[in-house]
Amino acid sequence: MIHICDVPRYHAISEDELKQMREKHVLLRSFSYEKTPLERGYTDKILTVDLGAKEAVVSDIPAEVKEKFIGGKGYCLRYLWDAVNPSTRWDSPENEIVMSAGPIAGITQYGGTGKTLICTISPLTDIPVDSNVGGFFGPYLKFAGFDALELKGKSETDVIVVIDATTGTITFEEAPLEHFDAHVLCEELTSLYAKDEKDKMNVAVVAAGSAADYCNMGMLNFSFYDPRRGVTRLKQAGRGGIGRVFRDKRIKALVCRIDGVKANLNHVADIGLINKTGVKFHREIANNDIHQNDMRGVGTAYSLRTLADYDIVPTNNFKFGDAPGIDEMTAAVFKKDWLTQGAADGCWYGCSMACAKASDHFLLKTGPYKGQRVCVDGPEYESAAGLGPACGIYNPQEVLEINFYCDTYGLDTISYGTMTAFLMECYERGILNRERTGGLDLSWGNAADDLELMHRMARNEGFGKIAALGIHKQKAYFAEMGWGDLAEMNDFGMEQKGLEYSEYSAKESLAQQGGYGLTNKGPQHDEAWLIFMDQVNNQIPTFEDKAEALYFYPMFRTWFGLMGLCKLPWNDIVPADNALTDDPKMVPEHVENYLNLYYGVTGKRIDTKEMIRQSERVYNFQRIFNIRMGKGLRADDAIPYRSAGPVFEDEYLWREERYDTQLVELAGYTPEQVKSMSLQERMAATRKFREARYQTLIDAVYPKRGWTLNGVPTVEHLRELGMDLPELLEVIEPLLAKEGV
Amino acid sequence: MILNYREYKSWREGLTVRDVIEENTFTWPKLVVKRNGTVIWPEEYGSTVLDETDDLEVIHLLGGG
Amino acid sequence: MKRLIKDESLCIGCHQCEAACAEAYYKTSDPAFACIRIEDREIDGKNRPIIHVCDQCGKCAEVCNSCVIQANPGGVYMIRKKDCVGCLMCVGFCPEQVMVQSDERLEPSKCTACGICAKVCPTGAIRIAED
Repeated sequence: MIHICDVPRYHAISEDELKQMREKHVLLRSFSYEKTPLERGYTDKILTVDLGAKEAVVSDIPAEVKEKFIGGKGYCLRYLWDAVNPSTRWDSPENEIVMSAGPIAGITQYGGTGKTLICTISPLTDIPVDSNVGGFFGPYLKFAGFDALELKGKSETDVIVVIDATTGTITFEEAPLEHFDAHVLCEELTSLYAKDEKDKMNVAVVAAGSAADYCNMGMLNFSFYDPRRGVTRLKQAGRGGIGRVFRDKRIKALVCRIDGVKANLNHVADIGLINKTGVKFHREIANNDIHQNDMRGVGTAYSLRTLADYDIVPTNNFKFGDAPGIDEMTAAVFKKDWLTQGAADGCWYGCSMACAKASDHFLLKTGPYKGQRVCVDGPEYESAAGLGPACGIYNPQEVLEINFYCDTYGLDTISYGTMTAFLMECYERGILNRERTGGLDLSWGNAADDLELMHRMARNEGFGKIAALGIHKQKAYFAEMGWGDLAEMNDFGMEQKGLEYSEYSAKESLAQQGGYGLTNKGPQHDEAWLIFMDQVNNQIPTFEDKAEALYFYPMFRTWFGLMGLCKLPWNDIVPADNALTDDPKMVPEHVENYLNLYYGVTGKRIDTKEMIRQSERVYNFQRIFNIRMGKGLRADDAIPYRSAGPVFEDEYLWREERYDTQLVELAGYTPEQVKSMSLQERMAATRKFREARYQTLIDAVYPKRGWTLNGVPTVEHLRELGMDLPELLEVIEPLLAKEGV
Repeated sequence: MILNYREYKSWREGLTVRDVIEENTFTWPKLVVKRNGTVIWPEEYGSTVLDETDDLEVIHLLGGG
Repeated sequence: MKRLIKDESLCIGCHQCEAACAEAYYKTSDPAFACIRIEDREIDGKNRPIIHVCDQCGKCAEVCNSCVIQANPGGVYMIRKKDCVGCLMCVGFCPEQVMVQSDERLEPSKCTACGICAKVCPTGAIRIAED
């Protein structure tokens, strides 16, 4: 086991190198501004940066926007809506990247309170995507005087934008010598903008990576400096291709620099309540985490081995669920051989859950940094499962290397993992072959060629250009080339609305099929993770129950995105007496904590009902935003059959007994009938039953959410929420009229 | 016996909570176990023998935030 | 290494140590503001208190992600308050629960092995050891 006290510090960049970089910086434009201090979690200011005009403008956030949209994702969507029109696409100059950290973000006393929410029109989906990320930037932006940041227009040359709260200036600079790959670039800019070693804590950097220039799944890295290791570390706003939009605007990086973090920069209403709630939470982690998930030891990858026991790990492109090689990459293996133990690994201050693990001085074996030793973000569950078992890879060293390159190149590990799994299945089926891939052998488990594929994506070379498209466009391309059948690829290509699935196999949980399919941004589990409640606990057996869960959880979980909170401290740790509460799965004490934090910061008392209402306003706004952009109706909530049932024969045979039994117990066949049916007939019957059931689920969910059966929010529902805004009615009224509502 | 609102077909004399958890590979680290509505703590899994008429819940708490 | 050591068999539960510590650093006699904690415990009708003191175990330093708690040459862990962000993780993780958090201040505080408590102890149940 590797302990932090045995880990040597990383080498700092030499003064000479920094000097050369600094000398080549060209100041293009500079603006001064008056820093607005925070009051009860808000500055009520937004900073608009126009990359084309090289202008920075500070404006007030109107009271009615604050009231209805709260902050975080709510602000991002509101300002994005105002910036774009129905024909805006990801690379239109008016498309914006909007970031906001939310009112609770930036307190230091409770776990998971430093999240930044980001929205843009996605190159993968053509609708708004929202992504959340840890690291310093969002809270620092607040301390610098801004509740939100809008990036619009396009620069003609690569620029960095520096928000320096210590001097009250915003500058546009050219920084030609710095690298493009995030692990180097963030280290360089942290060193350049910090006065000294200690001051590195006060610099936050946002950067994409060299592959984000070409790849629709390009993401954004947010830095946080780790003073113990002496290295700049990264967290990722992974989903939906925000990094590609960032690079299309020719932003090389954003830098935010502040004087320092103190305990009450949010100038909160009741610091005592926040202190008390925080200490209670830290004590709970100190006492219980090691007996529960061991988030401090391994982070979210703790669940890899155990989820395989429930057939949930997306083995070989979600074909199976039991990940046969998983014993080679269990939490115990990561803990023993790879992840440094005993470090304070929070991605924001006060996160005692500390799940941002790292593999230190990891020796790279491929690519442009081959032979170098680097600090690798310990794979989170999603990264480990998507880059590993989904592609038939079970070697921790290989998974870490792929994870590292995804991060530094600016590629979303989830989209990359799911996309590569799709390509591997295409390879298995003969849709792809060595000739078509330019010599790459994309057989299951071939990590070497998986990495080579990624290096080609970063160089925008050969088959890398095809990989850069993402599954949705790849399917069309392969069909157009006559390589594969589109209908078949639609069945096993794990994307919906253009976004690649995150890493849970939902075949045995109808509720989770909805948890993926009935989302706003596309199939990401952050709206609802219902697999256990449904498949194992059997707590939501009826369509009505499942629909209630698919109404409640997305609303509850949206609230974290309004506040700038991480969801993990809600339920990846529970109080010792949680089992005795009325509803253990909701972790009632933690919900109470969150209401206390909201009160503590803003001085406003709300209950869970109001919490849900706050979310519901924004959630429906986002749904209508999707409709406005052309992708928010029932037809768009269809899911690939792979996520609901077995597409191919070997897939059915893998759990033949289960599927046969279900034909009797759920689909109404007699045992004799099933016995007399051929494999193809049983597969067809299973499919018919499962696809019909998904439609019945939708019929139950939409009315619960206040939507018509075509998925359009009704005027009455919006009125009830106080969201009958003219611009929303304008979008939905023609559709409602068509439906006769 | 009932397990999670479904009939548990492999009930037998002397079956303990631990047996049920092992037979079903319930390896998830955060379980809440209730027999007839009363919480059974992990240290009691091995010694809690289940009756044919018992209503057992092995609730898996959510993860992933 | 300098630290506070204890001999529970000598403690009579007078709580003067707590009062002295709280008075010295927080100008109050409230034991909640003391970096030493005397837990009264009755055995056979007699008070046999448990003494919770900071033994400079360093857990507070380990959990701090801004690295502002470090041992001085004497082995005493000190908080560099100027750079402390007040996250209170050290307070929550302290195995003896003897770190102090006050809503009046932005940073917590911990035992510096100053010996003020030992000086007022009438029985020698706590004392400063240097080895």
